[in-house]
Amino acid sequence: MLSLRNVTKRFGSITALDNASLDIAPGEFFGLLGPNGAGKSTLMSLVAGLRGADSGTIEFGGQPVAGGTGGYRQNLGLVPQTIALFLELTAEENLRIFGELQGLRGLKLKAALDDAFAAAQLEDRRKSLVKTFSGGMLRRLNLVAALLHRPKLLLCDEPTVGVDPQSRNAIFEHLQQLNRSGVTIIYSTHYMEEAERLCSRIGVIDHGRILALGSLDELLTKLPFEDEITFPANSGTAQLAAQLAGSGEITAIDGTHRFRPRAGYPLSAFFTLTEALGLPPRLFISQRPTLEALFLHLTGRKLRDA
Amino acid sequence: MSQVLILLRKSLLSFWRSKAAVFITFLVPIVLIYLFGHVFGLYRSGSGPAGIPIAVVNLSREPAAQNFVDALKAEKAFALITTVDLGKGATRPLTEADVRSDLHDNRYRYALILPADLIPENSLGVHLKFLFNPRNEIESQTVNGLLQKTIFSNVPQLLGQSLQRNAHRFLGDERFEHFNRTIANTVADNFGGDREEIYQRNIAGDFGFANLQGSNRGKADGQNSAASSLAGSRESATGDQKPADVFSRIINLESEQVAGKELKNPMAARLVGGYAIMFLLFAVSGSATTLFEEKNSGVFQRLMSCPVRPAHILWARFLFGVILGLVQITALFCAGRVFFGLDIFGHAGALLAVSLAAAAACSAFGMLIAAIAPSAAAANGMATFVVISMSAVGGAWFPVSFMPDYIQRISKLTLVYWSVEGFADVLWAGRSMIEVLPKVGILAGIAAGVMLVAVWRFNRGKLFD
Repeated sequence: MLSLRNVTKRFGSITALDNASLDIAPGEFFGLLGPNGAGKSTLMSLVAGLRGADSGTIEFGGQPVAGGTGGYRQNLGLVPQTIALFLELTAEENLRIFGELQGLRGLKLKAALDDAFAAAQLEDRRKSLVKTFSGGMLRRLNLVAALLHRPKLLLCDEPTVGVDPQSRNAIFEHLQQLNRSGVTIIYSTHYMEEAERLCSRIGVIDHGRILALGSLDELLTKLPFEDEITFPANSGTAQLAAQLAGSGEITAIDGTHRFRPRAGYPLSAFFTLTEALGLPPRLFISQRPTLEALFLHLTGRKLRDA
Repeated sequence: MSQVLILLRKSLLSFWRSKAAVFITFLVPIVLIYLFGHVFGLYRSGSGPAGIPIAVVNLSREPAAQNFVDALKAEKAFALITTVDLGKGATRPLTEADVRSDLHDNRYRYALILPADLIPENSLGVHLKFLFNPRNEIESQTVNGLLQKTIFSNVPQLLGQSLQRNAHRFLGDERFEHFNRTIANTVADNFGGDREEIYQRNIAGDFGFANLQGSNRGKADGQNSAASSLAGSRESATGDQKPADVFSRIINLESEQVAGKELKNPMAARLVGGYAIMFLLFAVSGSATTLFEEKNSGVFQRLMSCPVRPAHILWARFLFGVILGLVQITALFCAGRVFFGLDIFGHAGALLAVSLAAAAACSAFGMLIAAIAPSAAAANGMATFVVISMSAVGGAWFPVSFMPDYIQRISKLTLVYWSVEGFADVLWAGRSMIEVLPKVGILAGIAAGVMLVAVWRFNRGKLFD
């Protein structure tokens, strides 16, 4: 459906996107995970056709997207990172304008507005000025404004920034429902939890380069460990921590030891050791590593610190 | 085109919903026009300055000196101060030392001394001292001119006495009497009157002939006849001439107002036109800077992800400026109609043509500001500087004819000049649609040229990046 080949975009001396290649299949929920300034918004704007790439190609359905105003844009919905609404107008006036710009008229427009307000749970605020909305309401309206014309490809550029958990869940559920109905979604975020929860495939991006690409499971296999074991850091576990040093990565953070076994290290060996040291199993929590660990592994930095 | 109209509707709706924008665009200029109407005296029956305090010290014993003081008292431009208040109702006449001290203390800014040698023995003319504190150069010159006018118009016998004394000195007693007798006889023979009375008046320096038969009053129907003294012209609204004003007969300047005679308040046409354009420039510049706000809010991203091109956004904004301008100008001229009785309906077609062209030029100017400026804050600062400069130079505040030659040449480069001149052509001179077409064409040309530059700059700029 969407194909990026060796796409590079520079702003002066800064390379915002560096030789990026990516294929997104129809119906996919693709996550673009990276810290602020990683190049996510640049990639989104290039895919939306708002900018041209310095080199490389971006195609949608085999057609280049740059400079396209007609067919491609009618298949495209963009949810900008900011609240891209006219604050002095009512919610209905906003959606009517965006619907009309997408070519909707008459009953089609009315039906689209009704659906959008229902999806955003804002039916009772249609006639309210947008500037009176809460942050969550603004985000929900910001999302549905991109969906009026039922696009095939939806670009969501960090659509939950500053949103309360309730509105965030409402947005997630709506996006998942859209995706189930066949809408292809590209979702950029710097929240690994969002990418893990929503996306069937994830691209990890930093400094304009796509560092890893795949499903969550595929990405986690790139880590040199499969599990992560945490236990309290105290005098009773000090000997265990010392003995694990040669078996993987062990770090102490906030009174907790985190042990990431090296590839091939059998967990049975770990538990044999704890038993030998007389440490009860309840001290140990074994969990699947997160994208945070992957990002740290790929870049040497934490996602939130980047 | 439909995209442009949708965006235009959006801009109009947004504007209407912003009470502050509506207030600033319409109410503020209307209130200011009303206030400036008072400042410029447009609500008074007459025009010109009034009540300028001026101290007068009369040290002369000449009877004409007191006549001169009385004439100054009658001049509405002045509020005469002739005495010092000593308390308990007691006063004494001002002295030259008093007025010098008062001028230093800025109690008043002008003083006129009529010295003892008001009519000097050894030279021709009248000796006066004008003392002033030049805090306001324009006012000083106005006062100076009004004083000269008062002298020549109201007390010509001062000059007559000077002439007679000098004649007496040069001619001697016998020939001086013969000279004046000859004049008196000639006047009596040609214009009538008593020879002795005319002789005595000649001796006193009073050359007035108003009471003589056959005096030329020079008044024509529908015309204001004015007479000019040696010092300059004096215009009489009624056509009456002061009986003693012999100098007005020396140069008889007949003046006729050929345009704007029917205007209830001529200056109002300029005031309303000038301020309308200035506030329109502020309004459209402000509206153009919202382009930056829309860019920063991500609205441009959303719009451009729709089937919308930058040209749609720009033309919608331009059209919004034109419509806003047209409505604003209409509102301000309606206010001018209410406040000053401007005849806007008698020339509605021509006025609409000039207004439309002026609104287009102003809107294009707003677009250019947005195209050149790197940010909304810079655009606002730039707009304030350019609008105020252009309004001052272009004649929005006062006529360009008051300005130096080089400024007058520069003013013709501004859209304010052509707009104000266009409004004056319609409202002042009553010109028809055909007659104002050249100025409409110039304004339309400015609009097209500025808009082209703006679009070129937008294409090279980063607004749509």
